[in-house]
Amino acid sequence: MRIRIRKRYLFYILLTASSLIAAVTTSIDGVISYFYIKNPWIFCVSVFLVGVFITIFLSLFLSIPVGGKSIGSRIDPSFRRVRLIKRDEVGYHVMAGIGNTVNTLGYFYILSVFIDPSAVLPFFQVVILYLLITESLSEKDTPTLAEIESSIIVTFGAIMASISLSGEINVMALLVIFLIMNPGWVVLAIYQRKLKLMKINKKPNDSINIRLWNVIFTTVFTSVIVLLYSRTYFIDSIRTASKYYPWLSLTMGVTFFAYVLYIRALGLGKASISQAVKASTIIFVIPFSILLSRYMDFSFSANPTLLIIKIMGIVLVVLGVMTFALTEVKAYVFINAKGNQSIDELTKKIWHIRGVTAVSALAGKHDVLAKIRIRTLGKGYERIIRKLEGIDGIEKFSWESILKEWEEI
Amino acid sequence: MIKAYVLILLYVGKLEEVLDKLRKIENIKSIAVTTGDYDIITRVSVEKLEELMEVTDKIQLAGGIKRTTTSVIEKEIEL
Repeated sequence: MRIRIRKRYLFYILLTASSLIAAVTTSIDGVISYFYIKNPWIFCVSVFLVGVFITIFLSLFLSIPVGGKSIGSRIDPSFRRVRLIKRDEVGYHVMAGIGNTVNTLGYFYILSVFIDPSAVLPFFQVVILYLLITESLSEKDTPTLAEIESSIIVTFGAIMASISLSGEINVMALLVIFLIMNPGWVVLAIYQRKLKLMKINKKPNDSINIRLWNVIFTTVFTSVIVLLYSRTYFIDSIRTASKYYPWLSLTMGVTFFAYVLYIRALGLGKASISQAVKASTIIFVIPFSILLSRYMDFSFSANPTLLIIKIMGIVLVVLGVMTFALTEVKAYVFINAKGNQSIDELTKKIWHIRGVTAVSALAGKHDVLAKIRIRTLGKGYERIIRKLEGIDGIEKFSWESILKEWEEI
Repeated sequence: MIKAYVLILLYVGKLEEVLDKLRKIENIKSIAVTTGDYDIITRVSVEKLEELMEVTDKIQLAGGIKRTTTSVIEKEIEL
Protein backbone atom coordinates (compact mmCIF):
# COMPACT_ATOMS: atom_id res chain seq x y z
CA MET A 1 0.00 0.00 0.00
CA ARG A 2 1.32 3.44 -0.82
CA ILE A 3 1.17 6.41 1.51
CA ARG A 4 -1.44 8.79 0.13
CA ILE A 5 -2.75 10.78 3.07
CA ARG A 6 -1.23 11.87 6.35
CA LYS A 7 -2.58 9.89 9.29
CA ARG A 8 -3.21 13.08 11.26
CA TYR A 9 -5.40 14.55 8.50
CA LEU A 10 -7.43 11.35 8.15
CA PHE A 11 -7.95 11.35 11.92
CA TYR A 12 -9.48 14.85 11.82
CA ILE A 13 -11.50 14.16 8.64
CA LEU A 14 -13.06 11.04 10.18
CA LEU A 15 -13.94 12.78 13.42
CA THR A 16 -15.35 15.89 11.76
CA ALA A 17 -17.53 13.75 9.48
CA SER A 18 -18.64 11.71 12.50
CA SER A 19 -19.48 14.93 14.38
CA LEU A 20 -21.56 16.26 11.51
CA ILE A 21 -23.52 13.00 11.30
CA ALA A 22 -23.93 12.95 15.11
CA ALA A 23 -25.47 16.45 14.93
CA VAL A 24 -28.03 15.15 12.42
CA THR A 25 -28.78 12.12 14.61
CA THR A 26 -29.31 14.19 17.75
CA SER A 27 -31.69 16.45 15.87
CA ILE A 28 -33.68 13.45 14.59
CA ASP A 29 -33.72 12.02 18.15
CA GLY A 30 -34.98 15.39 19.40
CA VAL A 31 -37.88 15.28 16.93
CA ILE A 32 -38.78 11.68 17.88
CA SER A 33 -38.55 12.45 21.61
CA TYR A 34 -40.69 15.60 21.29
CA PHE A 35 -43.41 14.37 18.93
CA TYR A 36 -43.60 10.57 19.26
CA ILE A 37 -41.77 8.80 22.11
CA LYS A 38 -41.64 10.91 25.27
CA ASN A 39 -40.62 8.15 27.70
CA PRO A 40 -36.79 7.79 27.63
CA TRP A 41 -36.88 4.11 28.76
CA ILE A 42 -39.25 3.16 25.97
CA PHE A 43 -37.32 5.27 23.43
CA CYS A 44 -34.05 3.59 24.41
CA VAL A 45 -35.29 -0.01 24.05
CA SER A 46 -37.35 0.61 20.92
CA VAL A 47 -34.48 2.40 19.15
CA PHE A 48 -32.19 -0.58 19.75
CA LEU A 49 -34.85 -3.18 18.85
CA VAL A 50 -35.18 -1.51 15.45
CA GLY A 51 -31.52 -0.52 15.34
CA VAL A 52 -30.21 -4.06 15.64
CA PHE A 53 -31.98 -5.04 12.40
CA ILE A 54 -30.90 -1.87 10.58
CA THR A 55 -27.30 -2.35 11.71
CA ILE A 56 -27.27 -6.00 10.59
CA PHE A 57 -28.79 -4.98 7.24
CA LEU A 58 -26.24 -2.18 6.69
CA SER A 59 -23.33 -4.42 7.72
CA LEU A 60 -24.46 -7.16 5.32
CA PHE A 61 -24.90 -4.60 2.55
CA LEU A 62 -21.39 -3.28 3.18
CA SER A 63 -20.09 -6.89 2.96
CA ILE A 64 -21.12 -7.15 -0.71
CA PRO A 65 -17.96 -7.46 -2.82
CA VAL A 66 -17.53 -4.99 -5.67
CA GLY A 67 -14.39 -5.14 -7.78
CA GLY A 68 -12.71 -7.66 -5.45
CA LYS A 69 -13.29 -5.56 -2.32
CA SER A 70 -16.30 -5.15 -0.06
CA ILE A 71 -18.29 -1.91 -0.25
CA GLY A 72 -17.49 -1.34 3.44
CA SER A 73 -13.72 -1.37 2.74
CA ARG A 74 -14.23 2.09 1.20
CA ILE A 75 -15.24 3.30 4.68
CA ASP A 76 -12.77 1.17 6.64
CA PRO A 77 -10.04 -0.60 4.61
CA SER A 78 -9.75 -3.26 7.36
CA PHE A 79 -13.34 -4.44 6.75
CA ARG A 80 -13.93 -7.52 4.61
CA ARG A 81 -17.26 -8.94 5.67
CA VAL A 82 -19.53 -9.48 8.67
CA ARG A 83 -17.97 -12.06 11.00
CA LEU A 84 -18.52 -13.71 14.36
CA ILE A 85 -16.55 -12.22 17.24
CA LYS A 86 -13.44 -14.00 18.53
CA ARG A 87 -13.15 -15.25 22.09
CA ASP A 88 -10.59 -12.52 22.92
CA GLU A 89 -13.07 -9.82 21.92
CA VAL A 90 -16.01 -10.98 24.08
CA GLY A 91 -14.88 -9.25 27.31
CA TYR A 92 -14.26 -5.94 25.55
CA HIS A 93 -17.61 -6.16 23.74
CA VAL A 94 -19.42 -6.83 27.02
CA MET A 95 -17.80 -3.76 28.60
CA ALA A 96 -18.47 -1.56 25.53
CA GLY A 97 -22.09 -2.82 25.50
CA ILE A 98 -22.56 -1.93 29.18
CA GLY A 99 -21.01 1.50 28.53
CA ASN A 100 -23.29 2.14 25.57
CA THR A 101 -26.38 0.97 27.49
CA VAL A 102 -25.71 3.28 30.44
CA ASN A 103 -24.77 6.21 28.20
CA THR A 104 -27.78 5.81 25.90
CA LEU A 105 -30.27 5.57 28.78
CA GLY A 106 -28.78 8.79 30.19
CA TYR A 107 -28.80 10.42 26.76
CA PHE A 108 -32.51 9.79 26.15
CA TYR A 109 -33.33 11.03 29.63
CA ILE A 110 -31.43 14.28 28.99
CA LEU A 111 -33.01 14.63 25.57
CA SER A 112 -36.49 14.29 27.10
CA VAL A 113 -35.63 17.05 29.60
CA PHE A 114 -33.88 19.58 27.31
CA ILE A 115 -35.42 18.94 23.86
CA ASP A 116 -33.01 21.41 22.16
CA PRO A 117 -30.16 19.42 20.53
CA SER A 118 -27.75 22.35 20.91
CA ALA A 119 -28.31 22.18 24.68
CA VAL A 120 -27.86 18.39 24.86
CA LEU A 121 -24.69 17.80 22.82
CA PRO A 122 -22.30 20.09 24.74
CA PHE A 123 -22.82 17.96 27.86
CA PHE A 124 -21.07 15.11 26.05
CA GLN A 125 -17.91 17.20 25.71
CA VAL A 126 -17.29 17.21 29.48
CA VAL A 127 -16.43 13.52 29.06
CA ILE A 128 -12.97 14.62 27.89
CA LEU A 129 -11.96 15.19 31.52
CA TYR A 130 -12.89 11.63 32.43
CA LEU A 131 -10.94 10.31 29.44
CA LEU A 132 -7.80 12.28 30.34
CA ILE A 133 -7.83 10.89 33.87
CA THR A 134 -8.47 7.34 32.64
CA GLU A 135 -5.73 7.56 30.00
CA SER A 136 -3.25 8.93 32.48
CA LEU A 137 -3.86 5.80 34.58
CA SER A 138 -4.05 3.21 31.80
CA GLU A 139 -1.77 4.39 28.98
CA LYS A 140 1.27 5.70 30.89
CA ASP A 141 0.49 9.06 29.42
CA THR A 142 0.12 11.71 32.11
CA PRO A 143 -1.77 14.74 30.78
CA THR A 144 0.40 17.78 30.19
CA LEU A 145 -0.46 21.32 31.23
CA ALA A 146 -1.56 22.05 27.64
CA GLU A 147 -3.95 19.07 27.74
CA ILE A 148 -5.38 20.09 31.10
CA GLU A 149 -5.80 23.70 29.93
CA SER A 150 -7.54 22.61 26.74
CA SER A 151 -9.80 20.25 28.66
CA ILE A 152 -10.83 22.97 31.08
CA ILE A 153 -11.53 25.34 28.18
CA VAL A 154 -13.62 22.65 26.45
CA THR A 155 -15.46 21.82 29.67
CA PHE A 156 -16.36 25.39 30.59
CA GLY A 157 -17.22 26.07 26.97
CA ALA A 158 -19.51 23.04 26.93
CA ILE A 159 -21.26 24.14 30.12
CA MET A 160 -21.76 27.65 28.74
CA ALA A 161 -22.87 26.40 25.34
CA SER A 162 -25.37 24.04 26.89
CA ILE A 163 -26.98 26.71 29.04
CA SER A 164 -30.73 26.47 28.97
CA LEU A 165 -32.08 29.61 27.36
CA SER A 166 -34.68 29.85 30.10
CA GLY A 167 -31.77 30.11 32.56
CA GLU A 168 -32.94 27.13 34.63
CA ILE A 169 -30.61 24.57 36.19
CA ASN A 170 -31.90 21.01 36.45
CA VAL A 171 -29.94 19.29 39.26
CA MET A 172 -31.28 15.82 38.43
CA ALA A 173 -30.25 16.21 34.80
CA LEU A 174 -26.72 17.32 35.81
CA LEU A 175 -26.39 14.30 38.11
CA VAL A 176 -27.44 12.00 35.27
CA ILE A 177 -24.87 13.66 32.98
CA PHE A 178 -21.92 13.53 35.39
CA LEU A 179 -22.61 10.23 37.15
CA ILE A 180 -24.31 8.10 34.47
CA MET A 181 -24.09 9.37 30.91
CA ASN A 182 -20.46 10.48 30.73
CA PRO A 183 -18.94 7.55 32.68
CA GLY A 184 -20.92 5.26 30.34
CA TRP A 185 -19.43 7.03 27.32
CA VAL A 186 -15.89 6.70 28.77
CA VAL A 187 -16.32 2.92 29.15
CA LEU A 188 -17.71 2.72 25.61
CA ALA A 189 -14.87 4.83 24.10
CA ILE A 190 -12.08 3.02 25.92
CA TYR A 191 -13.27 -0.50 25.10
CA GLN A 192 -14.12 0.34 21.50
CA ARG A 193 -10.58 1.71 21.15
CA LYS A 194 -9.17 -1.49 22.66
CA LEU A 195 -11.22 -3.49 20.14
CA LYS A 196 -10.05 -1.31 17.24
CA LEU A 197 -6.40 -1.75 18.22
CA MET A 198 -6.77 -5.57 18.34
CA LYS A 199 -5.41 -7.74 15.55
CA ILE A 200 -7.90 -10.22 14.09
CA ASN A 201 -6.21 -12.95 12.03
CA LYS A 202 -3.06 -10.78 12.08
CA LYS A 203 -4.96 -7.86 10.53
CA PRO A 204 -6.34 -4.70 12.19
CA ASN A 205 -9.85 -5.04 13.60
CA ASP A 206 -12.53 -3.18 11.60
CA SER A 207 -14.96 -0.55 12.83
CA ILE A 208 -18.04 -1.99 11.05
CA ASN A 209 -17.96 -5.33 12.89
CA ILE A 210 -17.17 -3.51 16.15
CA ARG A 211 -20.27 -1.31 15.71
CA LEU A 212 -22.45 -4.26 14.66
CA TRP A 213 -21.57 -6.32 17.73
CA ASN A 214 -21.79 -3.31 20.01
CA VAL A 215 -25.40 -2.75 18.91
CA ILE A 216 -26.20 -6.45 19.44
CA PHE A 217 -24.75 -6.46 22.97
CA THR A 218 -26.34 -3.09 23.82
CA THR A 219 -29.77 -4.28 22.62
CA VAL A 220 -29.55 -7.30 24.92
CA PHE A 221 -28.38 -5.27 27.94
CA THR A 222 -30.91 -2.46 27.40
CA SER A 223 -33.77 -4.94 27.03
CA VAL A 224 -32.78 -6.80 30.20
CA ILE A 225 -32.43 -3.60 32.26
CA VAL A 226 -35.76 -2.16 31.12
CA LEU A 227 -37.47 -5.54 31.54
CA LEU A 228 -36.23 -5.72 35.15
CA TYR A 229 -37.23 -2.08 35.78
CA SER A 230 -40.72 -2.29 34.28
CA ARG A 231 -42.27 -5.10 32.27
CA THR A 232 -44.91 -2.67 31.00
CA TYR A 233 -42.22 -0.38 29.58
CA PHE A 234 -40.65 -3.31 27.76
CA ILE A 235 -43.94 -4.38 26.18
CA ASP A 236 -44.67 -0.76 25.25
CA SER A 237 -41.20 -0.57 23.67
CA ILE A 238 -42.03 -3.46 21.33
CA ARG A 239 -45.29 -1.74 20.35
CA THR A 240 -43.48 1.58 19.90
CA ALA A 241 -40.75 -0.06 17.80
CA SER A 242 -43.32 -1.51 15.40
CA LYS A 243 -45.30 1.76 15.28
CA TYR A 244 -42.40 4.21 14.71
CA TYR A 245 -39.92 1.95 12.93
CA PRO A 246 -39.37 4.38 9.99
CA TRP A 247 -38.15 7.15 12.36
CA LEU A 248 -36.16 4.72 14.51
CA SER A 249 -34.59 3.14 11.40
CA LEU A 250 -33.60 6.58 10.17
CA THR A 251 -31.88 7.61 13.41
CA MET A 252 -30.09 4.27 13.86
CA GLY A 253 -29.08 4.11 10.21
CA VAL A 254 -27.48 7.55 10.42
CA THR A 255 -25.94 6.76 13.84
CA PHE A 256 -24.32 3.64 12.35
CA PHE A 257 -22.12 5.74 10.07
CA ALA A 258 -21.30 8.28 12.81
CA TYR A 259 -20.03 5.44 15.03
CA VAL A 260 -18.15 3.60 12.29
CA LEU A 261 -16.15 6.75 11.46
CA TYR A 262 -15.62 7.51 15.16
CA ILE A 263 -14.39 3.97 15.93
CA ARG A 264 -12.02 4.09 12.95
CA ALA A 265 -10.62 7.39 14.26
CA LEU A 266 -10.18 5.83 17.73
CA GLY A 267 -7.70 3.42 16.14
CA LEU A 268 -5.62 6.36 14.92
CA GLY A 269 -5.42 8.59 18.01
CA LYS A 270 -6.01 8.91 21.72
CA ALA A 271 -9.61 8.72 22.94
CA SER A 272 -9.34 12.10 24.70
CA ILE A 273 -8.13 13.91 21.57
CA SER A 274 -10.81 12.13 19.49
CA GLN A 275 -13.35 13.46 21.95
CA ALA A 276 -11.89 16.96 21.72
CA VAL A 277 -12.22 17.01 17.93
CA LYS A 278 -15.68 15.50 18.14
CA ALA A 279 -16.70 18.54 20.21
CA SER A 280 -17.16 20.32 16.85
CA THR A 281 -20.54 18.56 16.70
CA ILE A 282 -21.99 21.32 18.91
CA ILE A 283 -21.35 23.80 16.10
CA PHE A 284 -22.80 21.58 13.40
CA VAL A 285 -25.99 21.17 15.41
CA ILE A 286 -26.78 24.92 15.55
CA PRO A 287 -28.53 25.14 12.13
CA PHE A 288 -30.61 22.10 13.05
CA SER A 289 -31.53 23.65 16.42
CA ILE A 290 -32.61 26.89 14.74
CA LEU A 291 -34.72 24.90 12.29
CA LEU A 292 -36.30 22.71 14.98
CA SER A 293 -37.05 25.69 17.26
CA ARG A 294 -39.65 26.78 14.68
CA TYR A 295 -41.66 23.62 15.22
CA MET A 296 -40.85 22.61 18.79
CA ASP A 297 -41.38 24.20 22.18
CA PHE A 298 -37.96 25.81 22.75
CA SER A 299 -36.42 29.07 21.68
CA PHE A 300 -32.90 29.33 20.29
CA SER A 301 -32.52 33.09 20.40
CA ALA A 302 -35.20 34.52 22.70
CA ASN A 303 -32.83 36.03 25.28
CA PRO A 304 -29.86 37.95 23.79
CA THR A 305 -27.69 37.68 26.97
CA LEU A 306 -28.06 33.93 27.20
CA LEU A 307 -27.50 33.62 23.48
CA ILE A 308 -24.18 35.52 23.81
CA ILE A 309 -23.12 33.20 26.65
CA LYS A 310 -24.01 30.23 24.46
CA ILE A 311 -21.96 31.55 21.54
CA MET A 312 -19.01 32.28 23.87
CA GLY A 313 -19.22 28.70 25.09
CA ILE A 314 -19.11 27.37 21.55
CA VAL A 315 -16.09 29.57 20.75
CA LEU A 316 -14.31 28.22 23.85
CA VAL A 317 -14.96 24.62 22.80
CA VAL A 318 -13.51 25.32 19.35
CA LEU A 319 -10.44 27.03 20.85
CA GLY A 320 -9.89 24.15 23.24
CA VAL A 321 -10.10 21.66 20.38
CA MET A 322 -7.66 23.66 18.25
CA THR A 323 -5.17 23.83 21.12
CA PHE A 324 -5.36 20.06 21.40
CA ALA A 325 -4.90 19.55 17.69
CA LEU A 326 -1.98 21.92 17.21
CA THR A 327 0.21 21.19 20.21
CA GLU A 328 2.08 17.96 19.63
CA VAL A 329 5.81 17.34 19.29
CA LYS A 330 7.15 14.07 17.92
CA ALA A 331 10.79 13.01 17.77
CA TYR A 332 13.15 10.07 17.34
CA VAL A 333 16.00 9.59 19.81
CA PHE A 334 18.95 7.47 18.64
CA ILE A 335 20.77 5.83 21.51
CA ASN A 336 24.15 4.10 21.74
CA ALA A 337 24.77 1.83 24.71
CA LYS A 338 27.95 1.49 26.77
CA GLY A 339 29.93 -1.76 26.62
CA ASN A 340 28.76 -4.59 28.92
CA GLN A 341 25.21 -3.24 28.81
CA SER A 342 22.24 -5.54 28.05
CA ILE A 343 20.28 -3.92 25.23
CA ASP A 344 17.14 -5.74 26.35
CA GLU A 345 17.37 -4.17 29.82
CA LEU A 346 18.15 -0.78 28.31
CA THR A 347 15.07 -0.85 26.05
CA LYS A 348 12.90 -1.68 29.07
CA LYS A 349 14.36 1.23 31.07
CA ILE A 350 13.72 3.62 28.17
CA TRP A 351 10.20 2.25 27.65
CA HIS A 352 9.27 3.27 31.20
CA ILE A 353 9.93 6.96 30.44
CA ARG A 354 6.65 8.82 30.01
CA GLY A 355 6.19 10.15 26.49
CA VAL A 356 8.03 7.24 24.86
CA THR A 357 5.55 5.59 22.48
CA ALA A 358 7.88 2.97 20.96
CA VAL A 359 11.34 1.55 21.59
CA SER A 360 13.25 -0.55 19.06
CA ALA A 361 16.47 -2.48 19.60
CA LEU A 362 18.43 -2.02 16.39
CA ALA A 363 21.20 -3.79 14.51
CA GLY A 364 23.63 -1.31 12.97
CA LYS A 365 25.06 2.10 13.81
CA HIS A 366 22.71 2.74 16.76
CA ASP A 367 21.65 0.30 19.48
CA VAL A 368 18.22 1.66 20.38
CA LEU A 369 15.69 3.99 18.74
CA ALA A 370 12.95 5.58 20.86
CA LYS A 371 9.94 7.35 19.39
CA ILE A 372 8.66 10.26 21.46
CA ARG A 373 5.28 12.00 21.55
CA ILE A 374 4.88 14.97 23.87
CA ARG A 375 2.95 18.23 23.99
CA THR A 376 5.87 20.70 24.10
CA LEU A 377 9.64 20.71 23.49
CA GLY A 378 10.06 21.89 27.07
CA LYS A 379 8.48 18.64 28.20
CA GLY A 380 10.99 16.87 25.95
CA TYR A 381 13.79 18.22 28.12
CA GLU A 382 12.11 17.70 31.48
CA ARG A 383 10.53 14.37 30.76
CA ILE A 384 12.83 12.69 28.25
CA ILE A 385 16.36 14.16 28.16
CA ARG A 386 16.78 14.35 31.94
CA LYS A 387 15.53 10.79 32.31
CA LEU A 388 17.83 9.49 29.55
CA GLU A 389 20.80 11.22 31.18
CA GLY A 390 19.91 9.41 34.38
CA ILE A 391 20.18 5.97 32.77
CA ASP A 392 23.62 4.51 33.45
CA GLY A 393 23.97 2.25 30.40
CA ILE A 394 23.72 5.02 27.78
CA GLU A 395 26.94 6.11 26.05
CA LYS A 396 25.38 8.88 23.93
CA PHE A 397 22.10 9.85 22.34
CA SER A 398 20.87 12.27 19.69
CA TRP A 399 17.45 13.91 19.39
CA GLU A 400 15.84 14.20 15.94
CA SER A 401 12.66 16.29 15.98
CA ILE A 402 10.03 15.24 13.44
CA LEU A 403 8.95 18.21 11.33
CA LYS A 404 6.36 16.33 9.26
CA GLU A 405 5.28 12.72 9.12
CA TRP A 406 3.29 10.41 6.85
CA GLU A 407 2.11 7.03 8.06
CA GLU A 408 0.42 4.21 6.20
CA ILE A 409 -3.15 3.79 7.39
CA MET B 1 8.08 -10.10 9.19
CA ILE B 2 11.23 -7.96 9.07
CA LYS B 3 11.06 -4.33 10.13
CA ALA B 4 13.77 -1.73 9.69
CA TYR B 5 14.48 1.97 9.78
CA VAL B 6 16.18 3.49 6.77
CA LEU B 7 17.92 6.73 7.77
CA ILE B 8 18.45 9.08 4.85
CA LEU B 9 20.76 12.01 4.25
CA LEU B 10 19.92 14.25 1.25
CA TYR B 11 21.59 16.76 -1.01
CA VAL B 12 20.26 20.28 -0.38
CA GLY B 13 17.14 21.19 -2.39
CA LYS B 14 16.05 17.61 -3.08
CA LEU B 15 13.59 17.11 -0.20
CA GLU B 16 10.26 17.50 -2.03
CA GLU B 17 11.42 15.40 -5.00
CA VAL B 18 12.62 12.56 -2.75
CA LEU B 19 9.48 12.67 -0.58
CA ASP B 20 7.26 12.31 -3.66
CA LYS B 21 9.21 9.23 -4.75
CA LEU B 22 9.36 7.66 -1.28
CA ARG B 23 5.59 7.94 -0.87
CA LYS B 24 5.16 5.72 -3.93
CA ILE B 25 7.42 2.90 -2.74
CA GLU B 26 5.65 -0.22 -1.49
CA ASN B 27 6.50 -1.49 2.04
CA ILE B 28 7.46 1.93 3.41
CA LYS B 29 5.16 2.26 6.42
CA SER B 30 6.08 5.74 7.57
CA ILE B 31 8.14 8.69 6.42
CA ALA B 32 9.33 11.40 8.81
CA VAL B 33 11.16 14.58 7.85
CA THR B 34 13.52 15.27 10.73
CA THR B 35 16.07 17.75 12.04
CA GLY B 36 19.51 16.59 13.18
CA ASP B 37 21.87 13.95 11.78
CA TYR B 38 19.36 12.68 9.21
CA ASP B 39 16.96 14.46 6.87
CA ILE B 40 14.40 11.65 6.52
CA ILE B 41 13.67 8.59 8.64
CA THR B 42 11.57 5.88 6.99
CA ARG B 43 10.16 2.76 8.55
CA VAL B 44 10.02 -0.32 6.33
CA SER B 45 8.18 -3.60 6.80
CA VAL B 46 8.92 -6.60 4.55
CA GLU B 47 8.52 -10.39 4.57
CA LYS B 48 12.13 -11.34 3.70
CA LEU B 49 15.58 -9.75 3.85
CA GLU B 50 15.76 -9.83 0.05
CA GLU B 51 12.71 -7.58 -0.06
CA LEU B 52 14.43 -5.17 2.32
CA MET B 53 17.27 -4.89 -0.19
CA GLU B 54 14.73 -4.15 -2.95
CA VAL B 55 13.23 -1.34 -0.87
CA THR B 56 16.62 0.17 0.02
CA ASP B 57 17.59 -0.05 -3.67
CA LYS B 58 14.48 1.88 -4.65
CA ILE B 59 15.27 4.49 -1.98
CA GLN B 60 18.86 4.81 -3.23
CA LEU B 61 17.56 5.39 -6.76
CA ALA B 62 15.08 8.07 -5.70
CA GLY B 63 17.56 10.79 -6.74
CA GLY B 64 19.02 13.38 -4.39
CA ILE B 65 20.08 10.77 -1.83
CA LYS B 66 23.56 11.40 -0.38
CA ARG B 67 23.68 8.41 1.97
CA THR B 68 21.39 5.83 3.60
CA THR B 69 21.85 3.80 6.77
CA THR B 70 19.64 0.77 7.33
CA SER B 71 18.97 -0.42 10.89
CA VAL B 72 17.04 -3.68 11.24
CA ILE B 73 14.72 -3.85 14.28
CA GLU B 74 15.65 -6.81 16.50
CA LYS B 75 12.98 -6.23 19.14
CA GLU B 76 10.27 -3.64 19.61
CA ILE B 77 7.94 -2.41 22.33
CA GLU B 78 5.16 0.01 21.37
CA LEU B 79 1.82 1.35 22.58
